Amino acid sequence: MSQSSAAHDTRPHRPDLGEARYDKQGELSDAERVDRAVSNFVKDIGAVTATHLDACIHCGQCAEACHFYRETGDPKYTPVHKLAPFRRAYQREMSPFGFIRRWLGLTHKVTVDELQRWQELLYDSCTVCGRCTMVCPMGIDIAGLVSQARHGMFKAGLVPAELHEVAEKAEREGSPLGANPEVFEDRIEWLADDYEVAIPLDKESADVLVTVSSIEIMKYPRSIADMARILNHMGVDWTFRTDGYEATNFGLLSGNTDWQADMSGKIIEAAKSVGAHTVVLPECGHAYTALRWMGANSYGAELPFKVRHISEYLADGVRQGSLKLKSMDRSVTFHDPCQVSRRGGATAEPRVVLDALGVELREMDETGDLNWCCGGGGGVVTISRADAIRHKVFRIKQRQVEDTGAEAFVTSCSNCRMTFDDDTEHFNWGRKVESLVELVADHLEA
Amino acid sequence: MAGPSTLGDFLLQRGISRRGFMKFCTAMASAMAMPPSFARDMAANLETAKRQSVIWLSFQECTGCTESLTRSHSPTLESLIFDFISLDYHHTLQAASGHAAEKAREEAMERAGEGGYLVVVDGSIPTGAGGAYSTIAGMTNLQMLAETLENAAAVVSVGTCAAFGGIPYADPNPTDARSVESLMANGHVPSKPLINVSGCPPVPVVISGTFAHYLTFGQIPELDHYNRPKAFFGDTIHDRCYRRPFYDQGKMAKSFDDEGARKGWCLYEVGCKGPTTYNACATAKWNNGTSFPIESGHGCLGCSEPNFWDAGSFYKPLSAGMWGEAEGLAAAAAVGVAAGAGAAWGHRRRHAQAQEESQS
Amino acid sequence: MTLLEFTRGPALEASLIILVAGVIWRLVGLLLLPYKRDHSEPRGNRTALGGALQTILRRFWPYRAFQNRVLFSHVMGYAFHIGLAIVVFGYRPHILFIRDLTGISWPGLPYWVVYLAGAVTLAALVALLIRRLSHGVLRLLSTPDDYLSWLVTILPVITGFMAVQHLGARYETLLAVHLLSVELLLIWLPFGKLMHTFTFLFSRGFTGARAAHKGAKT
Repeated sequence: MSQSSAAHDTRPHRPDLGEARYDKQGELSDAERVDRAVSNFVKDIGAVTATHLDACIHCGQCAEACHFYRETGDPKYTPVHKLAPFRRAYQREMSPFGFIRRWLGLTHKVTVDELQRWQELLYDSCTVCGRCTMVCPMGIDIAGLVSQARHGMFKAGLVPAELHEVAEKAEREGSPLGANPEVFEDRIEWLADDYEVAIPLDKESADVLVTVSSIEIMKYPRSIADMARILNHMGVDWTFRTDGYEATNFGLLSGNTDWQADMSGKIIEAAKSVGAHTVVLPECGHAYTALRWMGANSYGAELPFKVRHISEYLADGVRQGSLKLKSMDRSVTFHDPCQVSRRGGATAEPRVVLDALGVELREMDETGDLNWCCGGGGGVVTISRADAIRHKVFRIKQRQVEDTGAEAFVTSCSNCRMTFDDDTEHFNWGRKVESLVELVADHLEA
Repeated sequence: MAGPSTLGDFLLQRGISRRGFMKFCTAMASAMAMPPSFARDMAANLETAKRQSVIWLSFQECTGCTESLTRSHSPTLESLIFDFISLDYHHTLQAASGHAAEKAREEAMERAGEGGYLVVVDGSIPTGAGGAYSTIAGMTNLQMLAETLENAAAVVSVGTCAAFGGIPYADPNPTDARSVESLMANGHVPSKPLINVSGCPPVPVVISGTFAHYLTFGQIPELDHYNRPKAFFGDTIHDRCYRRPFYDQGKMAKSFDDEGARKGWCLYEVGCKGPTTYNACATAKWNNGTSFPIESGHGCLGCSEPNFWDAGSFYKPLSAGMWGEAEGLAAAAAVGVAAGAGAAWGHRRRHAQAQEESQS
Repeated sequence: MTLLEFTRGPALEASLIILVAGVIWRLVGLLLLPYKRDHSEPRGNRTALGGALQTILRRFWPYRAFQNRVLFSHVMGYAFHIGLAIVVFGYRPHILFIRDLTGISWPGLPYWVVYLAGAVTLAALVALLIRRLSHGVLRLLSTPDDYLSWLVTILPVITGFMAVQHLGARYETLLAVHLLSVELLLIWLPFGKLMHTFTFLFSRGFTGARAAHKGAKT
């Protein structure tokens, strides 16, 4: 394979790993894939992205922050290395001296082989957790750049098959896991019945629009009932809407900005319909990134409502006195969902709630804004080819939790929860991660 | 000029004792960094040395080199040697003038025969306007030099003007002044063995020591890359400067009358070119070892180096650049802004194009 | 024109012009690209500039969570950056060069401090090169630019030492070579990773501004 002298070695670090593992979508020619990838890379390169892509000094510190590198020791997982094709497209097409590079043949165009090899680096081994962004001495938002690079990969038809499948399903049916509006409505009825809690659905107007994650609908339905119970306890005028309930955003995770806008759009339109002043996102990480920080930009204007993660909303309730909790006499260690804490800014809020629960909080050694990722975010948990490294990465959390000696291990994201459940089973760990919402629901003052 | 035929006879005549003569040879040997045993060889050679015919040509010069050499507070053996040589032609020192002087020159050349006389040149040779800027007896300096060098044994360029072009050579060099060496290099004058004794003026002992070597050994001494005797031009002023410890400590005078200056600190900051100047000033000093510029509180001008006059201000430190003015940098900044903006504009279009493409 | 005159004159002028034009070109070429407007509701009232400055300052030292893994790289990096700064800005002849260029000057440091700093700089640069050549991650990431930038950084230090110690050739030659090595550094700076001298402000700044908007850790 031809190598460029100006960009770094793009061969996989371990040639013995054999052929590149990648999936394809569509019947595009190789040249078309390359053109689309490059064109979409370029589309994302404004001043901030360009500056970041330009700034890397190859210090290698980002590798030390990344759980995939740390637990495998494989240099190919170095975060900035994941950006190589994106970076090269920038250098060749959009950099200040780009025309000199093209003129003198210093930077070769991205090849389809590189794009194919990079699929597993950009998807299987990046949860967009953002630790790399925090360690980088040049302050490069590497995680954000990975998200952007996925746009090019999607348009080139180079997304891991399973991730593409669930994203396509989500765009078509409204849920990645088949929980379409009919299924959702069914579930809500059943939950209301089974858990004996009033769950408003499709109200014409409400102060608060609440959303859920399909993972909760399909795997942790109790959370939904519990969320309802808590909101009712707080006396909130709220509703679910079948035209805008899904908080997960597989457009964001797979790298399709149109689908991402569609998915956020449903929530936004539903919220506008009911005239909500607040939209509450469920225990989910990337849902927060998608709507709280990216939603308005997908929409193209300020949103006419506030966006709150459920843990934030509960913290507000605690502060305002509308959420009254009984004491929970257990020691707890809390796993911060990366997108809510480090990438989202809502690190303090779950702790406000835990404080109100009166628990003995035993923080893990790296916690809060610099916590270790569960390893399943960013779509990684959907990619079965990535199971092996995802399990490896879990060892970090396992050690951390055990070192605290806490009785309860709590989080506030159903994807983290699902990832931990899968890892726990794989390793026969014997501990179970719990949901903050469920704990709160269990400790509501009468 | 008839007289004693050997130097030994000559010195005897002047009442120099053998002991005194040996002392001189020892001192001279030491000044030229020769081992002490050479003193005996030198004495033996000098004693039997024949009086060397020397033709001293003065061209575009200020006569400072002659002044330097003849400045002596008490008769010294160097000056006696100078008397010993048969100085058959020297504008300042000769008695004759006009046609008689030129005739003396021609006769001396003929009498000494081919390879029989030493030519000494001070002053640069103007070549502009056909050499008309300096003429003697109707001859341009260039013509006289070419003619005189024809049968010369060797030539000594005394002073920076003759050696490198000196002050007349300084920008814009209106007379198109040249050094002896450059004229030999492009064939304007015959090529002969050359010694450059640079300095503005050269240190007296450097001139006489060079002559002494030639008289003693009949050979050119070991020369550096600028054809200057290594014995006198082998070290920089900086390396022999008594103020060096202050340089090493970073103690520099910042102006000519500040505390540092009064304490005799290093003069680097006020423009001393000692580090890049090769000469004997710091050791042999001037006025019979009285002092030298740095000791008197002024930085070295670098006068024994080519282009010293154009090598940046005498008062700017050596590490200061000799670059242009700020306008160049301002222009560079403007180019940068324009090119950067141009690149950004081009890329913004690409960006917009890519966005349109993805819309469709 | 002797080599020394060339390096003190036209070569210096040309390299400074290339430096200024190149740096500005690269910065302007980056900063005039499109900016995306952020319509999302900010958390709190931290200003973008405040966030930018916070990250610019904070990233000078790694967070404790990363320290045990990145300290070697950081400490060695500072050893040579600071060592180089002491040599460049603390050695009186260099200060006089800057004074000639800008009019500003300041007291110099004792020479033994400068020599010590120079030695530390050399040692740190060599240690970092060895690391770059032997560490899996760095070998994967490194490009010719990394090695060239290392070379143009260490050459002035080596040639400076040689000049001061009269090592290997006549002083004027050593001085000219030293100046040439500095000019090489100036010429290369805008085109490779040495540009981080300027881009770090914006790279860190943009991330900090965004973090401040989100009320997140900078």
